[in-house]
Amino acid sequence: MRCFSALLFFAALIPAQTVQTATLANGMKVIIQEDHNIPNVAMYFFYKIGSRNERPGITGISHFFEHMMFNGAKKYGPKQFDNEMEKAGGNNNASTGEDLTTYTDWFPSSALELMFDMEGDRIRDLALEPKMVASERGVVYSERRTSVDNNNGGILREQLQAAAFIAHPYHWPVIGWPSDIEAWTQQDLKDYFAIGYAPNNCTMVVVGDVTVARVMELAKKYIEPIPRHDPPPPVRTKEPEQLGERRIVVKKAAQLPLQMIAYHVPEAKNPDSIVVDLLSTVLSTGQSSRLYKRMVDEEPLALSVNGRAGDALDPTIMTFTIQPRNGVDPARTEKALYDELERLKTTEIPARELKKAKNQMLTQHYSRMKTIAGRASLLGHYEVIFGDYNKMFTIDKDFEAVTAADIQRVAKKYFSENNRTVATLIPDGSAGGRRGRGGNQ
Amino acid sequence: MRTLVVFMAAAALCIGQAKLPQYSKETLPNGVVIAMMPRAGVPLVHFRVLIKGGVESDPGEMAGLGSVTSGLLRRGTTKRSAEQFAEELDFLGGTFGAGGGGRGGGGGGLESATAISSEFLSKDFDAGLDLLSDAILHPAFTETEVRKELARRVDAAKATKDNAQASIGSYFRAAFFGPAHPYGHPPDEMTYGKIGRKDIVDYHAKFYCGKNMLIVVTGDFDINAAKAKLAQVFGAAPAGSAFAWGKAPALARRGQMLLIDKPDATQTYFEIAQPGIDNKNPDRTTLEVINTLFGGRFTSMLNDALRVNSGLTYGASAQLEQNRLPGAIVISTYTKTDSTVQAIDMALDVLKRLNEKGITAEQLASAKAYVKGLYPTRRLETMDQLAALVGEIELYGLGRDEVDGYFSRIDAITLDQANATIKKYYKTDDLTFVILGAADKIRDQVKKYDPRAKEVSIRAAGWVN
Repeated sequence: MRCFSALLFFAALIPAQTVQTATLANGMKVIIQEDHNIPNVAMYFFYKIGSRNERPGITGISHFFEHMMFNGAKKYGPKQFDNEMEKAGGNNNASTGEDLTTYTDWFPSSALELMFDMEGDRIRDLALEPKMVASERGVVYSERRTSVDNNNGGILREQLQAAAFIAHPYHWPVIGWPSDIEAWTQQDLKDYFAIGYAPNNCTMVVVGDVTVARVMELAKKYIEPIPRHDPPPPVRTKEPEQLGERRIVVKKAAQLPLQMIAYHVPEAKNPDSIVVDLLSTVLSTGQSSRLYKRMVDEEPLALSVNGRAGDALDPTIMTFTIQPRNGVDPARTEKALYDELERLKTTEIPARELKKAKNQMLTQHYSRMKTIAGRASLLGHYEVIFGDYNKMFTIDKDFEAVTAADIQRVAKKYFSENNRTVATLIPDGSAGGRRGRGGNQ
Repeated sequence: MRTLVVFMAAAALCIGQAKLPQYSKETLPNGVVIAMMPRAGVPLVHFRVLIKGGVESDPGEMAGLGSVTSGLLRRGTTKRSAEQFAEELDFLGGTFGAGGGGRGGGGGGLESATAISSEFLSKDFDAGLDLLSDAILHPAFTETEVRKELARRVDAAKATKDNAQASIGSYFRAAFFGPAHPYGHPPDEMTYGKIGRKDIVDYHAKFYCGKNMLIVVTGDFDINAAKAKLAQVFGAAPAGSAFAWGKAPALARRGQMLLIDKPDATQTYFEIAQPGIDNKNPDRTTLEVINTLFGGRFTSMLNDALRVNSGLTYGASAQLEQNRLPGAIVISTYTKTDSTVQAIDMALDVLKRLNEKGITAEQLASAKAYVKGLYPTRRLETMDQLAALVGEIELYGLGRDEVDGYFSRIDAITLDQANATIKKYYKTDDLTFVILGAADKIRDQVKKYDPRAKEVSIRAAGWVN
């Protein structure tokens, strides 16, 4: 308990009271935390739209849209968003996932009004010029070639996900199927803008060298006049229960095989979700974790192993990624994983081991809170995925509440043969560079 | 939060200038230098220990020796097994990272030192220091752990080649710096094969000694108590002698091309390089600003041409390496196989335009604002960033003006000076090309950059045989 209470003390240093919120008349929620450590600001916009809102034929369009948001609106034309921002000493990025599209701006506080002006412009009046669409299609295809087609981990993950989900939109990749990237139309983009980019479908988070009063003044001036409209229709399709193990194989030129094993687990708001997070820590965080010890250290089976489930709006998967050692049959790494999962189901985890996992998760959580960017990211994440930014300050209590019996119950509930999908990348003989042994049996 | 705000506002910046918070420095009788920057607030303490040498101290035929040694520090000591060490560290929620220098070496871009970084809750200062010092001063290097570490590294070197983007960096270093240069031999299956336990033990005895060690501590801790504890623990290390920096050896012959064949690639990755500067070069601030415009941000000339205007790639950039020995200015990007030559020619054209036309006053002003605007979040925001900064300043003898005078140096750059610096460094001839892709589909076309190009298969062991 000693260690644990000290961690709680840390959380108390950055109390929730320093965060202020407001909701604009058009429905956009604003979350602000003042921090004057450095003269910089992190301003994040979380749109509740992602690949789960797509359908066959337009897969990848959420991500493509994210790119188009930098290609010109009404007041600030093509290239101007980046040019003006960099000239003012800021930079940006954006990311698209299954659930959310997030726009991340980092800049000196002197650029605050400019950023409000430019963000308001593109939320209200994105141009979607055909010439820019054509060029950006090439960019996104290059991104796909880099992150999937020429990346063994990327391609295996894509195939795994498509096999694990047969009905729910998590089936298709965020980057989109190649044929869709080549085919979506101007009209598809216009329709998508109309459903996704409603101010009432967005949460703004501002952390850094600002005052609440100034942020609200600018938000009222630049963002509030943007009219609200209907948010994306609800995602109706639910993934049906998996009825038996699914196995897929990807053959590809490679030096070493690669393995990913996924289990369906619940959405972030489900109370079991935090237990799954602790389970993944017990299994694969740090060199004292069970899978590292068993597969990387004690037996020379794997170069690396980790198991993670992200916080998701809908039921998702926990994926174990295993890089087998040279010459190791992936059947052996697979068996080692199942042995360890069985051990969690049959034997209650010792108290000290559970405490260790909680300590690890808390210090990781606090570590992400060290920067203004980290806090903007967490505040938005908890607000949009869990429905309450306060979770950032109270998650330590959720960790604390998890018992050894919870761990055992959750392991039994989800780590079953019928609930798993096994994907293995096998080096293609023509280019694998290995002679006969291992990997392909 | 209030505590945090009040303290930090005083520390990080005054109006319009970056400012390095104060830190104290002392040298123990055995030569260990300890730099301490206490900052009340977030109750964490960060340790960064630097061992001079890095890749410069690796014997060429045993490239990776320094990195393997640091990787083994936590794998068992005279009083803890590897498992006990991991168990204690993880129970505290602490971190421990060690690496030799170099791209992908885990040394945080340092070529000239091994960096060991560790972070703990402040209240675990003693327990954390005990773990850290035990690993650094008393590693056991058991035969079993040595064998396991080396075998893992050989497999990891192979696995790297399954990621074209990750592996081109090593090919580049081998091709650009060449075998005579300490930066020019990234470790591979063969060099790991030559390392034995005795080499590691000897390396540790020679370099992990007082006169060769620098310790930086930042975060929330009591400076007097910390000083006494650090002196007690690290004062016990043998004094030894400091690593003697060598002169910069000649680079590999310039104007060459290396083609790496990856038959299944649908995309070609390439790097185009020429000699740059070391980290004390008086032109470095001007070059940082110029390189930002050339290839260091989204609106840079390279990214604008290859990504924004033409859609040839997801990203094009240029790096200005700054290490103890002069490094490279490197253009890097990738494109689909059939636009390989179009993309290379376009990158060369951007370089030629920079060389011939220089930059405008407006561009210079924009880049100055950009570099200054982001500097606080890149280098001054967290205690680990500050520890890295203090480490560099002390390791290379740069002085605190490296930070405190940085904005003034940027402000002072004139357009004439910038354009003269461009002419001096951004040349268009004698470039080194490293190209990785499906050779059968691009070989004939890329020969125009160097008819005598060397070609290797990605399946061949090592980087450049």
